[in-house]
Amino acid sequence: MSKIGVFICHCGENISATVDCQRVAEELSKVDGVAYSIDYKYMCSDPGQTLIKQAIKEHNLTGVVIGSCSPRMHELTFRKTCAEAGLNPYMCEIANLREHCSWVHEKGEATTEKAISLVKMLVEKVKKDHPLTSIQVPITKKALVIGGGIAGIQASLDIANCGHQVILIEKDPSIGGHMSQLSETFPTLDCSQCILTPRMVEVAQHPNITLYTYAELDSVDGSIGNFHVTIRLKAKSVDPKKCTGCGTCSSKCPQKKIPSEFNAGLGTRTAIYVPFPQAVPNKPVIDKEHCNYYQKGKCQLCKKVCPTDAIEFDKPDELLKEDVGAIVVTTGFNVLKTDFFPEYGYGKYKDVITGLQFERLASASGPTLGEIRRPSDGQIPKKIVFVACAGSRDPAKGIPYCSKICCMYTAKHAMLYQHKVHDGESYVFYMDVRAGGKNYEEFVRRAIEEDGVKYVRGRVARVYEKDGKLIVKGADTLLGGAPVEIEADMVVLATAGVSNNGAEQLAQKMHISYDSYKFFAEAHPKLRPVETNTAGIFLAGACQAPKDIPDTVSGASGAAVKVAGLFSQSMLVREPLIAVVNRCAPPLFSTCVGCFMCETACPYHAIEHEEIKNRNGDVIKTVAKVNPGLCQGCGTCVAFCRSKSIDIQGYTNEEMYAEVVSLLNN
Amino acid sequence: MNKLEEKAVSLLQSGVKLILGYEKGDKGARPFFCHTPEDASKLIYDEHATTNLATYILKPELMGHDKVAVCATLRTLRAIAQLASENQIKEENLIVFTITEEGNGDVKEFSGIDEINSYLTDKELEVAQLYKELDEKLSGMSREEKWSFWVNEFSRCIKCYACRAACPLCYCTRCITDVNRPQWIDPWPSPMGNMEWQINRVMHMVGRCIGCGACTKACPVGIPIGYLSRKMLNDLSEEFGYIPGQAMKDGNSLSTFKPEDKENFIH
Amino acid sequence: MDNNESEFEPKIVAFVCNWCTYAGADLTGTSRIKYATNVKIVRFPCTGRIDFMLLLKAFANGADGIIVSGCHPNDCHYTSGNFHARRRWIAFRHLLEIIGVDVRRIRFSWVSAAEGAKWGDLVNETVANIRELGPYTEYTKVAQYVEKEDNNE
Repeated sequence: MSKIGVFICHCGENISATVDCQRVAEELSKVDGVAYSIDYKYMCSDPGQTLIKQAIKEHNLTGVVIGSCSPRMHELTFRKTCAEAGLNPYMCEIANLREHCSWVHEKGEATTEKAISLVKMLVEKVKKDHPLTSIQVPITKKALVIGGGIAGIQASLDIANCGHQVILIEKDPSIGGHMSQLSETFPTLDCSQCILTPRMVEVAQHPNITLYTYAELDSVDGSIGNFHVTIRLKAKSVDPKKCTGCGTCSSKCPQKKIPSEFNAGLGTRTAIYVPFPQAVPNKPVIDKEHCNYYQKGKCQLCKKVCPTDAIEFDKPDELLKEDVGAIVVTTGFNVLKTDFFPEYGYGKYKDVITGLQFERLASASGPTLGEIRRPSDGQIPKKIVFVACAGSRDPAKGIPYCSKICCMYTAKHAMLYQHKVHDGESYVFYMDVRAGGKNYEEFVRRAIEEDGVKYVRGRVARVYEKDGKLIVKGADTLLGGAPVEIEADMVVLATAGVSNNGAEQLAQKMHISYDSYKFFAEAHPKLRPVETNTAGIFLAGACQAPKDIPDTVSGASGAAVKVAGLFSQSMLVREPLIAVVNRCAPPLFSTCVGCFMCETACPYHAIEHEEIKNRNGDVIKTVAKVNPGLCQGCGTCVAFCRSKSIDIQGYTNEEMYAEVVSLLNN
Repeated sequence: MNKLEEKAVSLLQSGVKLILGYEKGDKGARPFFCHTPEDASKLIYDEHATTNLATYILKPELMGHDKVAVCATLRTLRAIAQLASENQIKEENLIVFTITEEGNGDVKEFSGIDEINSYLTDKELEVAQLYKELDEKLSGMSREEKWSFWVNEFSRCIKCYACRAACPLCYCTRCITDVNRPQWIDPWPSPMGNMEWQINRVMHMVGRCIGCGACTKACPVGIPIGYLSRKMLNDLSEEFGYIPGQAMKDGNSLSTFKPEDKENFIH
Repeated sequence: MDNNESEFEPKIVAFVCNWCTYAGADLTGTSRIKYATNVKIVRFPCTGRIDFMLLLKAFANGADGIIVSGCHPNDCHYTSGNFHARRRWIAFRHLLEIIGVDVRRIRFSWVSAAEGAKWGDLVNETVANIRELGPYTEYTKVAQYVEKEDNNE
């Protein structure tokens, strides 16, 4: 038999001004199962809470209903109060008498009557409530960071500096990502490598970070606190323990004409290569697709010249299994394939290049050692046209979004060009200049006012070659669409930032959601920007959308704090308001018939298949099981279950049914 | 020996322990459990073979653990396809064959569920004459008239649960009417409980009903209950993106969604 | 008769999600926007949780009207609970229409946590509509229904 305590709060006059609180308490004392009913001026005050605690003890209350402000306000307070008095906190319910009653109705009989029925409704709910205990999930305090660009580097360092183990995997032979390719960075023009490489080295030397380059995620199992991941260590064909990084192998490799990824195709590399001089680790790998030995069966020149016998051909990929408690995804972005722009002649004309290629031309470590020279003939261009929004904000091309970084880097490119080629002329075709950010607008103004970059508002319609010049045809919309034609020596396209290759497959492996552009989706665009809908998997950087370096780094630190916060406890404690699939005695085991409609309904992939076996190990039936680490308690599965085999704790079928019936029958 | 008998004999000789099929009954074909090659000659297949044999497949007490073959009509095939999409079919123990419409009694054995699904793609699901007539009758009624029509129809229900037993997709081990905490629906006949039961049946069939009509046929008091599921099946197909009579590939139409789903009543 | 109708106070149950509409109704309160006392709120974690059977049970227990409300599409706290709910209501409402339930008595809405004023308006509008429709005895009367002889063929 229930012994329920009812506590009606006046909330000063907030409730009692329109609701007759004393009468509510009196009426409730007549309800079946109510053992104690009282009203008080401030239930949330110390004396108010003491009143509740004393009543729980004195009357051996089995449940408590507080008629007060919204449960969104003080549910936690009152549940704690009950727990302190020895009552299970989930046996405490709140009737919303303030926001949903006293504040929205005039003083009168009807208002008091409504208050009475709201409290009665919760009394009926409490009668059906079950004591619940919070869910505890053990946590493996080791994080996996996927992607070694600046986001992954920052997240790894921040987590490692909190004292936790980090595994950082990078698919390329070196960490560094796109930032390592950049020349100088806006809006301060500090050299990208100068600020990045110390961090790359720090990662390599950090005692808490295990770095695997040339490695990819193979599979993920498990859930928050306890992921089981398999990492594919791609065969490097070079034993990093023996290799000293002397570089003899690369200098002797006969394959010298492979376009260098690091130089965005503007330079070349060998088949056994270190992507760039400051690479971490600074040990080569063999690119099997271009290696003579792997392709034709003979060569092995590198093996012959290696002084430490570090070359190991034909070693298979290794699969490494690791247990981690959290995953940070920092897989970055890509730039749009330029075959997208036949009208701009990319690929047809050597001197039409992408922004990333311009970065390499402007970089001291690039193919021209930092001099701006045309790819076609090595001449210094006297006139450059920069085309902003090459692909971005162009629904016709399938990219309606703004790539965010292009306005700024285009201004930077034009500025760098003017700094390096004093008599040069630069034009920027733009749609709008979006320079939102600290010191960004000033930076663009500087490019225009101090460095004399000419901004033309309008789109470029076509680029074609004529007498060794690139003719850029566009319109100046500020001059009423007047046609503009510029004879340029070089054209730089600020190509749109797009999701990385394989982003979709990676998301599916991890069960995280992604948008129609294959960028990974955050759990909430504003309030949970570094979390995914899968608990324990976090995001940072340009894998979410194109981002500049400051945003990427702050996102990475944010994700790291989320991981460190998770790792700060030995057990993950969660509210028990989750779905549960029933279990019952054999031969039924569960009333679930295993249709798994709940599985497609669950946004969190929390529904698992559990095989119920007999003593011989034969599967008798397969039923649904809710992973308590993943379930967030929306209850969508509950409403779908035809046999009512799933229920959600805290909002059970019995509780909700009792509430509805109570509301209408008093 | 006809082709059906030949097939049955060869299956039984190759290790199949039971063939679900039809034999001649007093009122047309009736279900027949054929265990021996000697019985195979009794197997028939004609337009009167209307019982949905898929209903039996989910009953382990009938099927045992051995290999079973089903002589499937179109409606049985549809049920098997839908059941498979709901994880209810153990393919390794089931052989499905049908008598093709084309040719004279040719037997077609399916390699698996995938082949059944592709076989069904060009088989249109027809609407029974009874339902068409009812559609016409109801379309002329006002809301109040429809209401009193159905209230009266449902009031005749005697809660015998023949509809549930006949339906190949009503396979819950515990039906919602057997749930008593809370007691959602009166398990005994009562006008309100009857209506709630039928509304539940239809809602539980959304995107799942294969329109075989077994429920209507089974109803001993002649309530055209299958009409509702059948009408919903057709009416919602475009909106929810399925083809009546074919199983959906990626989850049931109610437990999946499209962000661009259209409605005109949520404001 | 007219007099009786004006005295009719409809019983309306609101099924709302915790994160948007419940919070929105809290905001109505915080903003001191007044509305009719006829609507009482039952709090669910998500619209995805709302079982159609609860709506039937509300009518069977004498509700004259029902409000179902949650987060706007794309705003669901659980990402997709409201999308699932929307499909469920599309199907359920269609079925009710086929059998002649007075679907005007169920008001579906999206009310966000910021739309306190919208909640107030929604309640008042619904109360006015249901008041005009009168008590929903048509539904509760089913419980006492006796089969008509002439329909028994």
